Amino acid sequence: MRTVNYVLCGLGGQGILFMTKIFAMTALNKGYNILGAETHGMAQRGGSVVSHLRIGKARSSLIRAGAADFLLSMDESEAYRYLPYLKKGGKLFTNAPSDKFPDERVAAYLEKQDIEPRAMEASKTAMDLGSPRSTNLAMVAFFSAFGFGPLNADDLRATVDNMSPGPFKETNLKIFDTCYETGRKMVNKLNIFD
Amino acid sequence: MKEEFLLGNGAIALGLLEAGCQIMTSYPGTPSSEILPEVVRFSKAANLNTSIEWSINEKVAFDNAFAAAISGKRAACCMKMVGLNVAADSFMSAAYIGNIGGLVIISCDDPGPHSSQTEQDSRLMARLGKVPVFDPTNPEEAREMIKAAFDLSEEFQVPVMVRPAIRVCHARQNIKYDKLESNLTKADFKREPTRWASTPKFRFMQHKALNEKHLKISVKFDSFAPFNMHTLEKGKSYPFGVVTGGVPSSVIQDMFEDYGRDDIPVLKLCAPYPFPEKLADEFMAACDKVLVIEETDTVIEYMLRDKRKTLGRLSGHVPMEGELVPEKIEGVLNKALSDCGLSPLSDHDCGQEAFELTGGLELPIRKPTLCPGCPHRASFYSIRKAMPKAIYPSDIGCYTLGINLGVVDTVLDMGAGITMGSGFWNAYIQDDVKKPIVATMGDSTFFHSGTTGLMNAVYNDSRFVLVILDNHITAMTGMQPAITQDKRVDGQKGNSISLETIVKGCGVEYLKVVDPYDTKAMIKMVKNAAEYAYGENGGIAVIIARHACVLGFMDQAIVEKIPVKVTDDCDECGFCHKRFECPALYVDVENKKTEINQTLCAQCGVCLNICPQGAIVRA
Repeated sequence: MRTVNYVLCGLGGQGILFMTKIFAMTALNKGYNILGAETHGMAQRGGSVVSHLRIGKARSSLIRAGAADFLLSMDESEAYRYLPYLKKGGKLFTNAPSDKFPDERVAAYLEKQDIEPRAMEASKTAMDLGSPRSTNLAMVAFFSAFGFGPLNADDLRATVDNMSPGPFKETNLKIFDTCYETGRKMVNKLNIFD
Repeated sequence: MKEEFLLGNGAIALGLLEAGCQIMTSYPGTPSSEILPEVVRFSKAANLNTSIEWSINEKVAFDNAFAAAISGKRAACCMKMVGLNVAADSFMSAAYIGNIGGLVIISCDDPGPHSSQTEQDSRLMARLGKVPVFDPTNPEEAREMIKAAFDLSEEFQVPVMVRPAIRVCHARQNIKYDKLESNLTKADFKREPTRWASTPKFRFMQHKALNEKHLKISVKFDSFAPFNMHTLEKGKSYPFGVVTGGVPSSVIQDMFEDYGRDDIPVLKLCAPYPFPEKLADEFMAACDKVLVIEETDTVIEYMLRDKRKTLGRLSGHVPMEGELVPEKIEGVLNKALSDCGLSPLSDHDCGQEAFELTGGLELPIRKPTLCPGCPHRASFYSIRKAMPKAIYPSDIGCYTLGINLGVVDTVLDMGAGITMGSGFWNAYIQDDVKKPIVATMGDSTFFHSGTTGLMNAVYNDSRFVLVILDNHITAMTGMQPAITQDKRVDGQKGNSISLETIVKGCGVEYLKVVDPYDTKAMIKMVKNAAEYAYGENGGIAVIIARHACVLGFMDQAIVEKIPVKVTDDCDECGFCHKRFECPALYVDVENKKTEINQTLCAQCGVCLNICPQGAIVRA
């Protein structure tokens, strides 16, 4: 298998490391090799947090600009900040109102690069379902609905199930299922036009 | 067999225990801080008898490990690269004297820099100290290298350095491991004063012996696969080759594979010193030009003898500063290949267009800032209020971020908050100017290297106010316990040290303690301290601003939760943003009004006293 590159980003406190762990643990259970790169120390106090995750036989942990297959961002501004990492034809997922994303100033670039932006209000959904800090798994679920990459929605959901502590399990899975559905609707809508 | 998605520092910890390391010492510093806690975790899980300590500073850590190693045990000490500066005195002698049990120094580099004062390359320190050095490419290799380093250290009775860069320390990789076992080697120090306490005459002989060891190690490093190796085909010559090591070597290997460039041979030097002369000569002879890509300095590049063939930093192909992130390496390779008349890896612009595009979007600048509820913020606010015209020498830790509140003027190195305080005093008093100076330093930094400077300042009759920011913890690097607390890293009881006793022991006559959350009291106290310091029979005035870290001590740090709100009395003067700079205070974009972000707010209530209009009130 070719190395598959994920760039995950957002703001300090949104749980980027937990999000990374959901993907990593799922990949580990599937028997894949994984390499990741994290932000620590003073850089962590900075607010903008990014995590690289590579599934496959890579030796180096950082993904180079223009080589990421997927960019998942928990914040609209951070999605733009890390956009250069996404390859031509890469997939972009953001926590933002879908009718306002993307900024018109990047639309032409996305089109040229054959990057289709996909957005949902993940943090709003997480908050409405009772867990404002679960934007991370909301984004994982939304992404999983499109079936991209070697990790499928069932496996990712099972990891969320395993990793959620007892009192949060039900809410977390509810958020996962809701956001997965939002994603599925988007996929189905596209299919109609195909 | 277990498998974990391990942090690089965890892989290093695993390597240490697999190698039978019995004594482990460290002082925290990014990117090294997680190694020791991971040693604790693995050691406890396997019920090993490893001796593990957070030492008070890196020199102390080094000496403790060294003594264990000359007693025949396997010992390691780890630190960030600027920590090695603190341990440099010991480090420089250690290779001359040598060791019995393996001694491994782990010095973690921070190209970037992401969380450091410099981008220094520990391999240069290794060369200066004549210590062989390993430079791992990723967590798995770091783990293997630790074992090789111990073996080499024992074979040649010389300390060995492993220098993982931040992309090894803070990478994560799936790693499998077996059951760990204790190394039961007993301490057995054999007296030999001519070796262990050698005088200059013997040092000369030791130096000679060390140089002979180096020649042998250099030969060993010539055929030291997989750490040192090249991909030349026998008898073939090449127009262009790449010499690399450490993190960049893994990036280059991945990139050549992605672009299918097996026409470019690579010389990987992950054990670059003592330099493997023969291996390098072989590679140089087969290539018309070689490009050297290494982090962060020119260690390999200087040691390659044929400069006419060599491209790298000296030829202007490789940047002299900053981390060699993959897209930068791609750009460097493309340029060098084109300059040599060869086809580049790609016509990719290495993200340039996209970086320019996103750079033009005016994305929010997210500068590092103190946490909501941080007691340092309260201290800085009060200091500025009490002595607005002072010079503010400060130091290294979370409180460096006091720079955002305009209360940090200088940061040089660990301990310089105090020594620059006395330095400023001397510089001004020579002109008969009693310059107001308020120095700040955290509790861990004070114990690390504050006391000598304080004694010096007292003895030489310097005058300034010193505020020791005591939050009971080493917060920036990940909440390591301070020695004022009685808990050690492995959960054992320690004998806590009283900050007050130490300050008084340094000869300080004026010492007050305050809770910085009480800003009124602290402002008054700083004013009083200044009056004493600059008065007729004054001296150094020390204030201990004592309040637990809100991250490290959660509930204990904020006993009474005080929700706050902003009233219509707010006239948007901006004072709170400039002089208090709490992330929970923000200006709402739509109605242009200062508001409290209730999710971020720690409910410390300190801001109730800071608004000139009194517009911040209890909710």
